[in-house]
Amino acid sequence: MDERDDWRLTDDIKHEMGSGDPFAAAVRATRMPMVITDPAKSDNPIIFCNEAFQALSGYTRTEIIGRNCRFLQGPKTDRASVRRIGEAIDEGRDIAIDLLNYRKDGSTFWNALYLSPVRNAAGTIQFFFASQLDVTDRIETQTAIVEEKVGIEREVERRTVELQSALEAKTLLLHEVDHRVKNNLTMIGSLLRLQARTIGDPAISDKLEAMLERVDALATVHRRLYQSDDVTRFDVGAFTENLVSDVIGSSGRSEIDVISDIDRIVIPSKMAAPLGLVLNEVLTNAIKHAYAEERRGTLHVSAKRQEDGARITISDDGPGLSGGGPPAGGLGAALIRRLSQQAGATVQWADADPGAKVTLSFKAGDE
Amino acid sequence: MKRPVPPLSVLIVEDEALLAMDIEAMVEDCGHVVVGAAASLYDVEALADDLRPNLAFVDMQLAQGTNGLDVCRLIRLRWTDTFIVFVTANPRKVPDDYCGGHGIIPKPFSRNGLMAAMHYIEEGVCDPPPTSSSPSSFVASPAFAASWDS
Repeated sequence: MDERDDWRLTDDIKHEMGSGDPFAAAVRATRMPMVITDPAKSDNPIIFCNEAFQALSGYTRTEIIGRNCRFLQGPKTDRASVRRIGEAIDEGRDIAIDLLNYRKDGSTFWNALYLSPVRNAAGTIQFFFASQLDVTDRIETQTAIVEEKVGIEREVERRTVELQSALEAKTLLLHEVDHRVKNNLTMIGSLLRLQARTIGDPAISDKLEAMLERVDALATVHRRLYQSDDVTRFDVGAFTENLVSDVIGSSGRSEIDVISDIDRIVIPSKMAAPLGLVLNEVLTNAIKHAYAEERRGTLHVSAKRQEDGARITISDDGPGLSGGGPPAGGLGAALIRRLSQQAGATVQWADADPGAKVTLSFKAGDE
Repeated sequence: MKRPVPPLSVLIVEDEALLAMDIEAMVEDCGHVVVGAAASLYDVEALADDLRPNLAFVDMQLAQGTNGLDVCRLIRLRWTDTFIVFVTANPRKVPDDYCGGHGIIPKPFSRNGLMAAMHYIEEGVCDPPPTSSSPSSFVASPAFAASWDS
C-alpha cells in the first residue's frame, strides 16, 4: 500500500460499513470517541463519527454527520477555549484542551479534546481528526479541590479578621482598665494624703503615712507592670531601684546615700504586688530605724540573680538590730511575714556591724 | 533668661478635683505657691494675663473634651517662660517633641515621687543644672536640659 492509498482509506471510512480496511475497522470499533471533519466543505462539518462518539454524545449518526462540532457546546462552555480551538483550526495546528460539552439530553461532560489536522502528500489539510475523552471525574475532582481550597482560604481569612478585631478590642479594653486602675490608685493615694494632712496626732498621721507608702508601692508595681511590654512578668530588680529612689530621694532625706547594684530579676506578675509590699516594708523600716532623727548614713541595696533564684539585700549602717531589727508586732511585721510566705520568699535579718542587713531570697526566672 | 527664685508660682491644670487638691498640697509642702487651678482649656483661657506661672502641671485628659496638648500650646503662647510638666496616666500619648513641654510625671504618682520630681524641677528651673539625680518619677524632655544653657 503506497502513501496515495493511505489517503484513499480515509475516503472509505466515511462509509459506515467500510471496506474491510483494518484501520477503518479499528477507528470504528475503538472505545475512544472520534470524529473526522472536512474543512473543504462549508462550515467544516463532521463527515465521520464512531460508535463511541455516539455513545458519549447521545446523538445518532444521522444527527451528527453534516454538522459542525460546535453543536456539542452550550451556555457554560468556556468561550475563550472555543476561540483557541478556532485559532488552531485556522492556523492548521493541533490542540489539546479540556472543554465543557453538552449531550443530547442536556447533561454536560468534560471533554479532553485532541484535535489535529491531517494533511495530504502536498501538505494541504484534508481532514481534521478529533478524539474525545470524558474526563468529567478528573475535572470535577480538581474543581472540588480548588473550590475547597478557596473556601478554606476564605474561612481562614474571615477567622483571622475576627481574631484581629477581637485582639484589638481586648487591647483597647486592657488599656482602658489599666487607665482606670491607675486613676483609682492615684485617687486612693490622694485621699489618704489629703486626710493625713488634717491629722494633728503624730502617731496617727505616721500610721496613715505608712499606709500611703504601701499604696504608693502598689501604684509603682502597677505602673512598672503596664509600662513593660509583657504584663505577665515583672522585673523586681528595676522595681527595687525605683522604690529606693522614690522613698529616699524624696524631700528631706538627701543625707542618706544609696549605693545600689541591681540585676534584672524577672518574676511572675502575680508575685509582683506581695513582693513589692514586702520590699516596701523592709525599706521603710530600715529608713525609720537606721536613720532616725536626721541621722546620716549609707544604704546598700543589691538585687542579684542566684543559681536557684534571686536575692535582694538591703544593708544599712545604723545601730543594728538592737536599735531596729525585725519589726515585732504591728501591721508591718505581719505584712512581711504573710506576704513573703505568699510570694514564696524568705526574709532574714542579721546584724552586719555596723548596721543591719535584711536578705530576701526567692525564686526567679532565668533571665 | 532670668531665673526665678523660690518659691515658684505654680499652675495646676487637672480635671480630677481630688488630684488637683493633692498636687496643690504637695506643691505647697515643697514650699511653692499655687497661683491657679484649671480643669479645662477654657479655664486656662480665662486666667489673667499677669498670672505668669513659673511652672504648670498639666493633665492630658481634661474637662469639656479638651486636652493637655492644647493647654500646653496656649501656655507657651501666653507665658513664654513657663515650664510645663505633663502629669498623665498615659505617657505614650505625649508626642515625641513633648509639644514643647519640659517633661512628664507618670500617674499614678507617689508622694515621694512627686516631691522628688518637684525638687529636681525646682533645681532645673531656678539653679541649673540640678545637683540631685534625676528621679524615676520624672521624665525630662530635651527642652528641659536645653533650658539650662539659656
